[in-house]
Amino acid sequence: MSDELLSVENLKVQFETVEGVVRAVDGISFDVREGETVGLVGESGAGKSVALSSVLRLVDSPGRIVAGEVTFRDETIVGFEDDSSGNPVPREEMLTDREMRERIRGREIATIFQDPMESLNPVFTVGEQLQEFIEINRDLPPKDARDLAIDTLREVDIPQPEDRFDDYTHEFSGGMRQRVLIAMALACDPSLILADEPTTALDVTVEGQLLNLISELQDDYGTSFVWVTHDLAVVAEICQRVNVMYLGEIVEQAPVDDLFHDTQHPYTEALLDSVPRPDRTTEELTPIKGVMPEAINPPPGCRFHTRCPEAREACRATNPSLKEVGGKQGHRAACLIHDAFAADYEDSDPIQQDEGSFGEQLRSAGGVDE
Amino acid sequence: MATGSSTAGDSEEEFEARVGLRYTVERILDDTSARISLYVVVLITAVATFAFVDSTLLDYYVANTYWHNPLSASASARPLLPPVGLTNEFGTGTWVYPLGTDTRGRGILVRLVYGSRVAMQVALVSTVLGMVLGSVVGAVAGYYGGWTDDVLMRLAEVVYSIPFLVLVIAFMTVFGRDLTIAMIGVGLITVPIFARLIRSEVLSVREETYVEAARAAGVRDRDILLRHVIPNSFAPVVVQATLQMGTNILIVAGLSFLGFGAQPPTPSWGQMLSQSRNYMLPNPWFSIWPGLAILVTVMAFNVIGDGFRDTLDPRLND
Amino acid sequence: MSRIRYTIRRLAQTVPVLVGITSITFFLIHAMPGSPVEVMLGPTASEELIAEARAQYGFDQPLYVQYLSYLWSAVQGDLGTSLHYGVPVTTKILERLPVTLLLLASSFTFALGIAVPLGVLAAKRRKKPADHVSRVVSLIGVSTPNFWIGLVLIIVFTYRLDLLPATGLVLPWRPPSEVSGASTTLDVLVASARTLIMPTIALGTLQMAAVTRIERSSMLEVLNQDYIGLARAFGVKEGTILRKHAFKNAQLPVVTIVGLQLTSSLGGAVLTETVFNINGMGRLIIQAIRAQDFPLIMGTTLFFGFMFVIGTLITDLIYGYLDPRVTYEGAN
Repeated sequence: MSDELLSVENLKVQFETVEGVVRAVDGISFDVREGETVGLVGESGAGKSVALSSVLRLVDSPGRIVAGEVTFRDETIVGFEDDSSGNPVPREEMLTDREMRERIRGREIATIFQDPMESLNPVFTVGEQLQEFIEINRDLPPKDARDLAIDTLREVDIPQPEDRFDDYTHEFSGGMRQRVLIAMALACDPSLILADEPTTALDVTVEGQLLNLISELQDDYGTSFVWVTHDLAVVAEICQRVNVMYLGEIVEQAPVDDLFHDTQHPYTEALLDSVPRPDRTTEELTPIKGVMPEAINPPPGCRFHTRCPEAREACRATNPSLKEVGGKQGHRAACLIHDAFAADYEDSDPIQQDEGSFGEQLRSAGGVDE
Repeated sequence: MATGSSTAGDSEEEFEARVGLRYTVERILDDTSARISLYVVVLITAVATFAFVDSTLLDYYVANTYWHNPLSASASARPLLPPVGLTNEFGTGTWVYPLGTDTRGRGILVRLVYGSRVAMQVALVSTVLGMVLGSVVGAVAGYYGGWTDDVLMRLAEVVYSIPFLVLVIAFMTVFGRDLTIAMIGVGLITVPIFARLIRSEVLSVREETYVEAARAAGVRDRDILLRHVIPNSFAPVVVQATLQMGTNILIVAGLSFLGFGAQPPTPSWGQMLSQSRNYMLPNPWFSIWPGLAILVTVMAFNVIGDGFRDTLDPRLND
Repeated sequence: MSRIRYTIRRLAQTVPVLVGITSITFFLIHAMPGSPVEVMLGPTASEELIAEARAQYGFDQPLYVQYLSYLWSAVQGDLGTSLHYGVPVTTKILERLPVTLLLLASSFTFALGIAVPLGVLAAKRRKKPADHVSRVVSLIGVSTPNFWIGLVLIIVFTYRLDLLPATGLVLPWRPPSEVSGASTTLDVLVASARTLIMPTIALGTLQMAAVTRIERSSMLEVLNQDYIGLARAFGVKEGTILRKHAFKNAQLPVVTIVGLQLTSSLGGAVLTETVFNINGMGRLIIQAIRAQDFPLIMGTTLFFGFMFVIGTLITDLIYGYLDPRVTYEGAN
């Protein structure tokens, strides 16, 4: 697609730990177009943050990107090919580390982190950090960078930006700090911003202000966003398309309205049922039974089958792939329910979801170890 | 941190076992350098214990019968011999005295063995003393806070601000130059270190909600300290105690070097080094062995201490 | 403005500590067996002579009176007269102080000059050979008695290689006439350097090893922080991250540790000065204790305490300078 900005195909990221290989991201594919906000939703541990780090190729060891393609415009950020022994090796046209650093990070793709308290360097003034990023990514001399920094601080509604420029991180409130992070991302004029739960740590009112701010800025600048969150309300408000992740895989992918009104995957359904929704009167909330298993030992077959109210024996055997559903273009789900050709689902018996004590559920989900 | 137990009842003990001694020792044994150090410490403790028994209880019976007396040279012994295989102006080394002899003709190896007793004994007693007293002081200061805390911490600061060597020497000049006083002296200067450690643990635990809950439920302060605070501060104290053993051995060696440790003819490593000073030119080996003994011992404690720290405090990863 | 107030307040806080040090020392040494006068005059002195001497030195006064009069004179700069040396305590101290200060300054420079780069390097090349080497070196450094290092250095460099002198410390600002074998200022400097090398290494090794460890672990901890990740995500070069973003933050615990090292190095100085026959404060205090020279003991301990207090103050100020989060208003 001509206006496709970022394309992620079959990305796999693994962590080698003492206890085994953690398949944090196990073959996800999604894309982002110019000017749109794509949501990446899921519970903690689903692999969303790792996915974001992979786009910038900043996965911390012991993590490694082991397979997949990540393309930004026409540059290859991640790409593999098989060598003579059939092992995947990085392709030649993959950008070098230096190219990533100089061309992509901060310049074309910027980031907004989750915890503004920890994301800003305590020994430097806010202005110094902002100015430095601008100097690096906009190629401006210090004086111009400083002016731009102050202007950007003003744009994110930080009062008295000239004075605040010389303040340290601890002199800002949480909401203000987050605005600084937003300013950093914007000032570098990127085409894509990766936002990792930027409003999670903030109060609802502050969150609301920031979401408005971001919408405005998006309209003004036309920047695309990948917005990671576990909060469906935020998704409803600002995303155009959404990917729902579970245990390292994308289980449903749809335009935002379709996701909410024409849900196709039991997990998404369960998520929606478990949170209060302003557009529906709910008698009671139904939490999803159990906890998400560990990525080191995912359940066989469909990963959600251990907690799925629709699970059948067939689900234990096959891991469904993401397929178009509902006849609608752009809406995909990974569930055997929709697989017209998999007669097994229809024929197999429902799995008795064992209530069990919480502890037992923990154990059957792979145990909780630390 | 539950483990896979089959009934809810077991899980508490299993949990403790996870963080407890057996697990820690297992982890230590996994790491090669820590394992070797553990063997070294065990070996030296055994040697020191043997030396202690033979010297104080058996009046050097074993030494006299099977080896040499470390306190006085035999009539035929020659002074300042080099280690076996080497020759210097005093003669050639023999297997009788594998590491050579000192100024009086006493075997260096046998004196090293019996000298280990001083090092280990003082280090052990002083560390335990410092740990126990320090914990009490720190717990009281941290828990009660306010005025008590201020006074105790100022006191600790004063003790800490005088170079410990000087303080112990002064202490020993006042109270006598024997080993017991040395143990007490070094122990006292160790108190502020443990006091500070326990105090900060207490301070952080004190703020925990479960302590507030316990207090609200009427649990006595003393019990809170014993049942909640102490077990939680176990880990850093163990780490500090192990490292402190190493430090205190160095302090004892320094004291002995200056003449404030065990009095002659009782052998001690620091004192042997002091004796060796005048003979460095003719027989440098005399200066080398005792220092090496100190180095190896202290290093072993440091490695184990570090190993404990890595195991018991995974936050400080690397 | 507030920094000045903070400094003044910190200085004021040192007073109780100093008073504490003096009291403890005072009452400790007065518990010493034997009267210094008897030691001084010898066993053959007559009763009257002893009594006369005691009166002369004020030892016949009640203890608290002695203490207070001592404090009063001390505040005015008079620390009494050394019984052993017969000169004012202050004179003796001023004679020996520069030597120890030079030794301390030299060993700290040596220690930090090696430890900081080494620690940073080890953090940067974590798990690689350079890291392992630095860890082994630090381990040996903190486990070796400093006086033994001195002895070994002397064996090698004085006795085997005949390169460096084993005793004494030449102060670099002495005029050539006072230094044997020196005719120019350059000669004095060279002689000074030669006498300084081995004691510096002996005293500084422990500091160096300890600081290397903390520098390394502090850098590693800082490099794991989110703000470093952010800088990387915005394309900052690794070198800049290390030098600028991580380094300053990492120094905070290092500064604290170096401050704590102050006392241990004063103690170490005692041993180093003994090994190398250097006439500094360390040896002075040992000699004073041996001779039961009360005024000298008091004076030197007071000085040690004072040096420590100044040292901690400087450490606190440096820490406050590095870390903008430290507020100068309000105590802990």
